[in-house]
Amino acid sequence: MELTRARAKDKAEPKKRKLSESKKDMLSGYLYVAPFFIIFGIIGLYPAIFSIYLAFQKWSGFGEMEYVGMQNFTLVLQDPLFWKSLYNTLIIGVMGTAPQLLVGIILAYFLNLAVIKFTNFFRVTIFMPYITSMVAVALVFGVFFSNNESALANYVIGWFGVDPINWKTSEWGAKIAISLMVFWRWVGYNTIIYLAGLQSIPKDLYEAAKIDGANGVQQFFHITIPLLKPFIVLTVFMSTVGALQLFAEPTVFLGGSAFNRDEAMTVVMYLYRDAFNLNSFGTASATAVLLLIIIVIIASINTWLTSGSKRRKKVRAKHAKG
Amino acid sequence: MPKANKKKFSMKSVPIYAVLILASLLSLFPFYWMFVMATRPSEAYNSIPPAMIPGTKLVENFQNVLDQIPFFQAMWNTFLLCTITTLLVLLISTLAGFAFAKFHFPGKNVLFVSILLTMVIPPQLGLIPQYYLVSELGWLDTLFGAGIVYLLNPLGIFLMRQYVSQSVPDELIEAAKLDGCSNFRIYRSIVLPIIKPAFATLGIIVFTLVWGEFLWQFTVLRSPESYTLQVALASLNESYNMDFGMVLSGVFWATVPLIIIFLMFNKLFISSITEGSVK
Amino acid sequence: MKFKKSLLVGLLLSLSLVLFACSNDEGTSSNGSDGSDGNNGEKVELDFWVFGATNYESLAKKYEEENPNVTIKIRKSELGDHHNSLFTAISSGTGAPDLTMIEVDQLDRFREAQERFTNLYDLGAGDIQDEYLDWKWKVAENESGDFLFGLPTDIGPKAMYYHTGVFENAGLPTDPAEVKEQISSPEAFEEAAAKVKEATGKPMVDSMEMAFRANMDALEVSYFNREGELLIENPDNKVKDAYDFAVQLNEQGYVGSYEMWTPEWATALNKGEFAVEMAPAWLKGYMTENAPEAEGEWRVTTLPEQFAGNWGGSYISIPKETKHAEEVYKFSKWLVNPENQLKSFVESGLFPSTPATYEMEEFTQNSDEYFGGQNTAEVFAEAAQEVTAAYKGPNYVTVNNEVLTALQNVSEGANPEEEWEAAVTRIQDIMKR
Repeated sequence: MELTRARAKDKAEPKKRKLSESKKDMLSGYLYVAPFFIIFGIIGLYPAIFSIYLAFQKWSGFGEMEYVGMQNFTLVLQDPLFWKSLYNTLIIGVMGTAPQLLVGIILAYFLNLAVIKFTNFFRVTIFMPYITSMVAVALVFGVFFSNNESALANYVIGWFGVDPINWKTSEWGAKIAISLMVFWRWVGYNTIIYLAGLQSIPKDLYEAAKIDGANGVQQFFHITIPLLKPFIVLTVFMSTVGALQLFAEPTVFLGGSAFNRDEAMTVVMYLYRDAFNLNSFGTASATAVLLLIIIVIIASINTWLTSGSKRRKKVRAKHAKG
Repeated sequence: MPKANKKKFSMKSVPIYAVLILASLLSLFPFYWMFVMATRPSEAYNSIPPAMIPGTKLVENFQNVLDQIPFFQAMWNTFLLCTITTLLVLLISTLAGFAFAKFHFPGKNVLFVSILLTMVIPPQLGLIPQYYLVSELGWLDTLFGAGIVYLLNPLGIFLMRQYVSQSVPDELIEAAKLDGCSNFRIYRSIVLPIIKPAFATLGIIVFTLVWGEFLWQFTVLRSPESYTLQVALASLNESYNMDFGMVLSGVFWATVPLIIIFLMFNKLFISSITEGSVK
Repeated sequence: MKFKKSLLVGLLLSLSLVLFACSNDEGTSSNGSDGSDGNNGEKVELDFWVFGATNYESLAKKYEEENPNVTIKIRKSELGDHHNSLFTAISSGTGAPDLTMIEVDQLDRFREAQERFTNLYDLGAGDIQDEYLDWKWKVAENESGDFLFGLPTDIGPKAMYYHTGVFENAGLPTDPAEVKEQISSPEAFEEAAAKVKEATGKPMVDSMEMAFRANMDALEVSYFNREGELLIENPDNKVKDAYDFAVQLNEQGYVGSYEMWTPEWATALNKGEFAVEMAPAWLKGYMTENAPEAEGEWRVTTLPEQFAGNWGGSYISIPKETKHAEEVYKFSKWLVNPENQLKSFVESGLFPSTPATYEMEEFTQNSDEYFGGQNTAEVFAEAAQEVTAAYKGPNYVTVNNEVLTALQNVSEGANPEEEWEAAVTRIQDIMKR
């Protein structure tokens, strides 16, 4: 085995260890996280500081900056469109993201079942939306949800006796269409993260549970979910951040009129419009700072809610014993 | 539950199949439709109801793409960019994930939370300062400049930290240490083999992300020789006379290699499942 | 031991970074490759950014043949991407191309960065001013007229595309000259719309935006003056009139709901679901590609002069960063001279901004199969002379979008006055930034 070979080699070399075990771990720790932070230092830090600095300046993208104090924040906070965009972002986030995580867990669970065949095939197909180019997605969704009485989506809702909807310009039509698009595009992504999580669960736990007489459903709720929890927390965090930074789907879905209308304008679209359509980088940066605060708050709440109990530790302790 | 037993078909799994098949159909449809459009003339895009059956222009549309852009050169660039960034992200993430999961060092939590914060700056706003940096460093129009931003991948570190802390037992590490293993040897010989499924997951996520990203690559890459697929394909879009058959043909053939790559990752995924954990 | 291993990781990492960096290191911008200022005979490489459908690649090749010391590297992208990327480069002051196209609606966005562009008057552009349409040239000047941002490329004078089948059914003439005579004023336009509506049930124009644009594109002064002041609440401002006109057409049922560039709109063009499209010459290319069934059905004629306006067109600008201003100017001047504008027109449908081109044989003998053999070029050439120089201002597109939103809501049943008030409020909010 590798380990024994390693040991033999180590022994053959003269001992150079002068540091204590914990000191060494400490150094390794710093060393191993260093690459990320070095790259962050090169390419990530400056934009972050620049954005925060800009939030207090008036700047058109050209020429001199002018310090304006909190004025950008007041402008943004007093703008009804900012609040509308925040509201839109939250609504679409809830409609597009929450079901995604639920369905993702179920699909991952199914794909991880030993009795299911062709999992390979299903895994590929379910991941396809993440691979499919946004151009194609935009065209397909654009046709399906076109702003027209004869749109396919209107045909479908017609079966249920619902009147045709303007999917691109009505308050709820646009939100529902975009939520569906977000859901469709990301459910496979979360599924494969959950799959990775499911595979990190040691198999002997299930064996033990079976011996104790637990059925599939019991196993799911008492082993799978608790042990998957860190991954659930991870995806909830990622999805919260992703949902609050939603940009690609609405802009692609709405195309040329994406920045004209307010039904589906998200916060990032709002700040993008400020920066690149209105040459107002100060207010755009102020919005980014506000968004950052909102993300931290909401992500903390979500993460706290999902990771509430300490059951995970218990299970691991049990695992260690077995 | 995952077992090495032979798979037997049972009636109980019928509803599960139904769900999976439905999910597959819904997931595949836009891709299929993209293929249909790639085989039809431009005006088919505007037909109502939309065309659902492939046409006859598969070769012709793709030939038009090849006439317009250096498709294979761009594909090679993209492949290079994706492979190298993916490998580096895997290296960076597994190292950091391992460190965050298993080592104790002062400031660990602060560092971890700061990684979290790097995610929340909207990339659309970081564009100008990041461009400025890359330009000042002389990396404009290089694949290096195009790739560096993807190396900051907090998801990778999160995922790896989670996976390592959950599936690499502390006892195993302790035992290896008693055996005199260095930390790096533990990383290579114990951690890496166990976390293969997470490797496959993160690998495919990063690869796909870089393959499909446009804005940054477009901002950095200038000359046709260094174009990646997304940048090259975008030059097919014209505001007024868009040839949808050609555009979707380009997009379609740019996606096919990605599916092959995914199947390869998937294999890694499968093999690590059947192997079981290394113990 | 462990240090050695860790060192190895570090080395590997940096090595891969270095390899990565080397994998594609050639081909950085020409800027700085040699410091000389456009010396003839010395090798220069020019980065040229273009967008949309042009024939500039083939023209550049020709120029390279005639000037072996010059290499032109063209980067082609989509309109929005093109200008945002240019904005990023100009804003950060690094990595701008040697020359670039700028679309007329985007030009105002860059006016503020005047010092980052080369004044083409300094390079002698005054000598060729006479070759270009005056209004087109004026738009590229600064307020005091001593700074020129770019040389004119193509223009987008609007004309009236009409569906002969629909006109015939409505009892209207179908010959371009007769149509022009009959529909010679906004009032006549409305009368025709009434006939179309009555006889066929079809709308006269495709969308609210087009109904609004009918007057908007003709305005010399719209939302802003040169000082950047918002004018829409001034009593003599014409934007509200354009708005009211669209609202009025809509109330009478003359406006359809086919938004431009959507599949429904393309289908409507194809099947003649509306009677008239007021658009520039570039629509021809789109129609040939995307509405093939309608071949022979559409014709083009001159719009009533109250509706005569320009929509689209570009300039060639030279960012200050270039080290080869003289060479670049020489090339730009050549690229948009009357002969080459004719080539661009024939090969890519870019409508010339040089009146001399309108006299050239290939231009006057032009005939469009798609339009039943009509020489549509002459119609647009005539329209080009009617246009006046319009000042739009840096926030034109965004501000205009607010009014379009209002119009969209009106077409869905909202109250026009309330929507107008709301749009004005939103516009004032925008102006505070």
